[in-house]
Amino acid sequence: MNRPPAPAQPGSAGADPVAGLLRIVAGTRPGADAGLIGRAYQVAAHWHHGRHRASGDPYVSHPLAVATIAAEVGADDPTLCAALLHDTLEGTCYTLVALREEFGAEIAHLVAGAMAAGATPGEETASSAPGPGGGAAAPGDARILVIQLADRLHNMRTLRHLPPATQVQTSRQALEVLVPLARRLRLDAIRSELEGLASDALKRYGPGADVVSGRLLAAASALLPPAVRARWCQEWLGELSVLPTRRARVSFAAQTLLGMARLAVVLHRPAKPTP
Amino acid sequence: MTLQTQLVLRALLAEPDVQRYGLQLCAETGLPAGTIYPIVARLEQLGWVHSSWEDPHEHVAAGRPRRRYYRLTEEGAQQARDSLARAYRPRNKPRLGPAATWPDVPGMSR
Repeated sequence: MNRPPAPAQPGSAGADPVAGLLRIVAGTRPGADAGLIGRAYQVAAHWHHGRHRASGDPYVSHPLAVATIAAEVGADDPTLCAALLHDTLEGTCYTLVALREEFGAEIAHLVAGAMAAGATPGEETASSAPGPGGGAAAPGDARILVIQLADRLHNMRTLRHLPPATQVQTSRQALEVLVPLARRLRLDAIRSELEGLASDALKRYGPGADVVSGRLLAAASALLPPAVRARWCQEWLGELSVLPTRRARVSFAAQTLLGMARLAVVLHRPAKPTP
Repeated sequence: MTLQTQLVLRALLAEPDVQRYGLQLCAETGLPAGTIYPIVARLEQLGWVHSSWEDPHEHVAAGRPRRRYYRLTEEGAQQARDSLARAYRPRNKPRLGPAATWPDVPGMSR
């Protein structure tokens, strides 16, 4: 399979954010139900209204991108709707019962499946994906896996907005779990993009020492007053991640660790008139 | 005031309106990170320094984690100038002291 066309830019200043998705769907499956897909988008936009991604984009740009990725690999209407709706039940008043009434049992089943798989698809997929040389997974399961893969792929595309330690962890998981899964489902475009993004992130942040440095700093920050701990950790992890060599990063972490006790004393005592 | 604190204040005073992040202060002062952070934390407690997170649009556009920026407050800039002046006077005195008592020699500028 060729590389998919450039993904639509959800959240950009288009008149209709869902138009890009519908164009792809119309190109791959002429009989698709554009009305149903449009309605699923409207419902997702309604429930995600006011929420934002770490990138600053409106949250609904994420399910839209997930559905777009699924559309590029030829997913059917229920899968696209479930992709659009896959996060609507979390942190909202929307319920699975209401979703089933609105979109039917099949879409509700896919949404529930994509949710239940949760943060680590590896464990579930290890048992539910077809074994080597075995038959195809049950149709429902495979569609849920497509949603999950598309979900993770979009997260990988927007990974740079997250802290370096998270980027390394997510990228490792992508290489260990998602890439083999995509290969097994023969989703080559998704597999190669996941592989590329994960390798880039791991190259950027080094294979281990930096995570260790970051963890050491985070652990040592326990000395600081709780109210300001997160602020200092975030500042250091940010600085750590832009240093060009591993040597510089390890040295930065070591020096900061040396100053931790002094900083703790400064932050724990009340201000005095002279420095 | 320690020499390290003076170095940090001088770096911040060089262009008082420019915001600087931790690594930048390390580079400009030649001091290690572990020395810089306690100093800016102390200066911030005193109200000499103000710190703030970088605008999300800037670090997202640059594709890197957001920076914590430091700059002198108006009061901090004044205090820094005063205390740097005080800090340098005693050390400079022995060298300038005798010179100040030299008689003016016509045709010779000091």
